[in-house]
Amino acid sequence: MHVGLCLSDLHPLLYGDGSTSRTAAAVHFGGHYRLIDFTLSNMDNSGIHNVAMVLGSQYQSLINHIGAGRAWDLARSSGGITFFPPYPAGERPFHDIRDEPLQRALVYVERARSNHVLVTDCSSAYNLDFRLPLQQHEASGADVTALYVRQQPLDIDRPHTVAYQLGEEGAITGISANPTIGEEQNISMGAFIVRKDALLRLLANEGSCDVIRFSCSVLAGALKALKVRSWLYEGYYARVSSLETFFHYNMDMLDPRKREPLFNSGGRRINTGVRNSLPTKYGSEAKVRNSIVSNGCLIEGTVENCVIFRDVQVKPGAVVRNSILQRNTLVGSGAELNWIVTDHDVIISAERNLLGHRNHPVYIGIGKVV
Amino acid sequence: MITPFSQKECVAMLLAGGRGTRLEDLTAHVAKPAVAFGGRYRLVDFTLSNCVLSGIDTIGVLTQYLPLFLHDYIGKGQPWNLDLMSGGVFLLPPYEGSSNSDWYSGSANAVYQNRHFIESYNPTYVLVLAGDHIYKMDYSAMLNYHKEVKADCTIAVIEVPLEEASRYGIMRVNTSDRITRFDEKPAKPKSNLASMGIYIFNWQVLKEHLNQDNTEDSSAHDFGRNIIPAILAAKHRMFAYRFQGYWRDVGTLESLWEGNMDILEDPSLGRPDWPIMTRGRNRPPHHIVGEVTNSLVASGCSIRGKVENSVLASGATVEEGAVVRNSILMADSLVQQGATVEYSILDERSVVNAGTTIGTPRVAGTPPTVVPGIWVS
Repeated sequence: MHVGLCLSDLHPLLYGDGSTSRTAAAVHFGGHYRLIDFTLSNMDNSGIHNVAMVLGSQYQSLINHIGAGRAWDLARSSGGITFFPPYPAGERPFHDIRDEPLQRALVYVERARSNHVLVTDCSSAYNLDFRLPLQQHEASGADVTALYVRQQPLDIDRPHTVAYQLGEEGAITGISANPTIGEEQNISMGAFIVRKDALLRLLANEGSCDVIRFSCSVLAGALKALKVRSWLYEGYYARVSSLETFFHYNMDMLDPRKREPLFNSGGRRINTGVRNSLPTKYGSEAKVRNSIVSNGCLIEGTVENCVIFRDVQVKPGAVVRNSILQRNTLVGSGAELNWIVTDHDVIISAERNLLGHRNHPVYIGIGKVV
Repeated sequence: MITPFSQKECVAMLLAGGRGTRLEDLTAHVAKPAVAFGGRYRLVDFTLSNCVLSGIDTIGVLTQYLPLFLHDYIGKGQPWNLDLMSGGVFLLPPYEGSSNSDWYSGSANAVYQNRHFIESYNPTYVLVLAGDHIYKMDYSAMLNYHKEVKADCTIAVIEVPLEEASRYGIMRVNTSDRITRFDEKPAKPKSNLASMGIYIFNWQVLKEHLNQDNTEDSSAHDFGRNIIPAILAAKHRMFAYRFQGYWRDVGTLESLWEGNMDILEDPSLGRPDWPIMTRGRNRPPHHIVGEVTNSLVASGCSIRGKVENSVLASGATVEEGAVVRNSILMADSLVQQGATVEYSILDERSVVNAGTTIGTPRVAGTPPTVVPGIWVS
């Protein structure tokens, strides 16, 4: 298996008041990563170097980030990463073209010399060598092997959660969305290993297709006709589908027991485009407790239990707690933040006092000045 | 480099073959230009970035001493945008020739042995650089000056305190900055205009003198000691180009430490107006549980102890109860629980054992303690 099909972003995430939406793949994670980094690094680490990436909307920042794919060894003279953006076809108006990219990507997949295809979205952070589930997939002779984790669905994540009901030998007997909260279930990772011919048949009549549709509609309708098996992943798994899950899982990264195996598991590292920022500078009055901080920051105030992305400045006397500050946020002197999420290029002026809550972090949108 | 070659107005030759013996253990496994600096750079980043930002995209890197890591680091030059179809960065170690084969016997000999590389780009000018200085400089401004004064050779100079002048190549100039005398490391300097080891030559003039120098058995085949005096003696037009700004030769352990502390005081070297580019490593953000003040910390570090006035490169770890002061921790170095590190340089992948004390408070004029790194098992 050396082919991956990424269904990147057919459900943009809504943040805060809903005015900001972002392709899930381009969502920031863990200080200087984006969710797509996990997908592409896992593929690179599994020897998958032919990647078809189906694009839906708002894919500019995603393409900028991936570039030629060099950070994941995907800049290749043959293979590598190929984007499938929507474009107008023939006489049809632009708004009516969303089925085009998937069908074009399937032509790419069909031509690849590989019997199996990894189908995945780019909404999750985990560290896995796909050759492990592939071994089981091949040995079992399954048409589809769906990857899952044992988790209690988070209340905040239910609308984007898919659960599997399992029968003998890990056969999937049922697929349901919005599973009940409060008990451990078999939660879909949004990743599948599929026999190529089966995949081409399954998607032959599909227009736009994200993994939720792939699970709940396409695959659910084929459970009897196809041999659909499951494979349990036991490592750290984070699925980001909302502001609340963004906050929850980014804060997970303060725990070394979760962070360290996620970023380096058996030598498998998660890669991203490296920037030229200086290391972060801590001033002589800096007080930092239990925080992760990316490069290029200038920290002169107090930071506790925070995830700080690149090029953030925290001025003297500012106090930031339990917050996530994304790239190029500036916190003026004397400002106090608690349970806040800033998007990139936000300015919090001096002496401002912003307070959210553990269950409801307050989101400040791109480029906003408070 | 695929023939036919494109012409380049100016080709840079970067001298990167020396051992840098004054850096002691830090160059036991890598050439000096590959020594780490400022938490995420290596010395050669500064010269390569300056070239690229000055519009010079054809660079020969002359390597000899322990080139493996340096070659691997520079590679095809992608981090500096030097992986080009026309020009780019070329690693030039000594080679076996059809008639004669030899190690580089001096800086001038290294360029002489690669004269065919230079010729292949048919340049008007050749810029000769050292690969181990910390500075930001627009070589195109120097080249414009070189053309304006119709020089055959231009040397970048900086004013140094007279008492330090005997460490440098020292020039005397007339009122229009034409060089009248050049003394390499004079015992009794008569001027404080020091050579920065940055030369622009008209290629035809340099070529002629390299050829001449090659025939002289008594020559050390060195730019400062042989080529510059010979060009001056031949009455060619040689000018000083005065550089204003930060420049530091980090060729000793103490100056390397001081250079790192300069970056800590003024991190302007990383600002976007003249970005120093580097082959970065992918590591997660650093995690701080302990205390950090007045320090630079790169990605991948884990700090549970106390860090003051220090520079930590990617992946450095300071365990619980450990104290690090006034020190430089290179990549993946480890200070175990309860250890104390004072005025020291921890080389890459070095380990300070739990509970031990390394280094003593700084006394100016004495070098920092070096903890050797682990390069190959």
